[in-house]
Amino acid sequence: MEENGTHERNAAIDVGASSQGLREELVTLLPRLRRFARALTRDAHDADDLVQIAVERALTRAGQLRPDAPLSSWMFGIVRNAWLDELRARGRRARLFAPAESGEQVGDASQGAHADLLAVQDALARLPEEQRAAVALVLIEGLSYKEAAYIMEVPIGTLTSRLARGREALQEMLGET
Amino acid sequence: MNFSDETVMAYADGELDAATRAAVEAAMALDAQLAQRVARHRALRGRLRAALDPVLDEPLPERLLASVRGAPVQRHAAEVIALKRKAAPGWSWPQWGAIAASLVGGALLGPLLLRAPAGGALVTRDGQVLASGALARALTEQLASSQPPGAPVQIGVSFRARNGDYCRTFVLREKSTLAGLACRAHEAWRLEVLAQNPAPPAAATGYRPAGSALPAGVAHTLDELIAGEPLDAGAEAAARARGWQP
Repeated sequence: MEENGTHERNAAIDVGASSQGLREELVTLLPRLRRFARALTRDAHDADDLVQIAVERALTRAGQLRPDAPLSSWMFGIVRNAWLDELRARGRRARLFAPAESGEQVGDASQGAHADLLAVQDALARLPEEQRAAVALVLIEGLSYKEAAYIMEVPIGTLTSRLARGREALQEMLGET
Repeated sequence: MNFSDETVMAYADGELDAATRAAVEAAMALDAQLAQRVARHRALRGRLRAALDPVLDEPLPERLLASVRGAPVQRHAAEVIALKRKAAPGWSWPQWGAIAASLVGGALLGPLLLRAPAGGALVTRDGQVLASGALARALTEQLASSQPPGAPVQIGVSFRARNGDYCRTFVLREKSTLAGLACRAHEAWRLEVLAQNPAPPAAATGYRPAGSALPAGVAHTLDELIAGEPLDAGAEAAARARGWQP
C-alpha cells in the first residue's frame, strides 16, 4: 500500500472526471444493494433508507474509492457501516424510549413467497449482527470468503467462524429445507 | 475420513483448494452422511436466495435513482427546520416565522411561532431561537424519569453534547406534531432543531423500529451532537441540580 497516496489521488481525479460513470455503475448495483440491505434490516423501508445513505456517502467520498477493489465491495462496506451506525443510534434511543414499539411484525404474511421472505428475514434478524452480515455477503450475495472478510474488515478465519455459526443458527430456526 | 464442519461448509461454498475438494468428493461417494451435510448447506443457501432474490426484480424506488443522479438531496428537509447557530444578521422574527411556516406548514407552526413571543414556546434573541414559557420551564425542571404522562411538554433524552453543553429532546404534547432538541447555553435553552413529529403509525404496515418515537430529524441531530451515552435517571437529576451547567 506504499503507493496508496498516489493511487487515491489518481482515483479522485478519475472519479471526478468520470463521475457520470460512477453514477451509472451505482444504478446497476442498486438491485444488489437493496437485496443486501433487506437481508440486514428486515424492513423494506429501512433497507432503502440505508441504500440511499450509502449512495450519498459514496458520492461524497468518491475520492476514497480504491481502483484495485471492485465498486461493489466498497458499496457493500458502506451499506454495512451505515447499518452499524443506525444500530448504535437505535440502541441508544431504545434504552431511553424503552416502552416504544419493538419490531413486532404486523401485516399479512399469508402469501406464499412473501411468507417465506418474512420467515427468512425474521430468522436473519435474530442472528447477531456480525453473523447476519457474513451470511448475507457469502450466501446471498455470493461473494468469496476473501471478499466478505475484506468488506467486514476481519481476518478470513473470523469470517468463516461467523458464517458457520450463523448458518447453524439459521438451519435450526428455519428447519430442514 | 472425517471432515470438520468448516471444511464441509467451505466445500459447499466452493472455497476449497483442488486437493481438499477432491478428497471431500471422494469421501462423499462413500459416505451418505457427508453428502447430506453438504446438501444441507446448499439447501440453506437456496432457501435464502429464493426468499431474497425477488428484491432484485422490484422496480427501483425513484428516490434511490434520484440520489444516484445526485439530485440535491435534503434528507428530512420536508419535516425539519435546522436552527442554525449563526443566523444571518437581520434574521428577524417574521422572516423566521415565514420560513418555518413554509417548511412545516403554517397550520402547524403558526400558533406557536406567530403569536406574540411572550405567550409562545419559542422566542428569538440575537438571531437564535430560544425556548420560552412552559417549554423553557419543562426543559429546566422536568425529569424524564418522573414526568407526569399528561404533561404538556414531554422530555425525552438528556445528554452531554460534544462541546460539553447539556441538551435535551422534547415533544410538545399540546401540539403533538412538534418535537425538538434544545441545548443549555448562557442561561437559556437554545433550539437546535424542531421537527414535525409523525403521527403515531396506524398499525398498518411492516415494522416499527424501536425508538421511532423521535422524528428522524431530531434523532439525526441527537446523533450528531451527542458525546457518549445519554444520561441515566441519576445523571439527569444531578445535572438539573447543577442548573445544567457543564
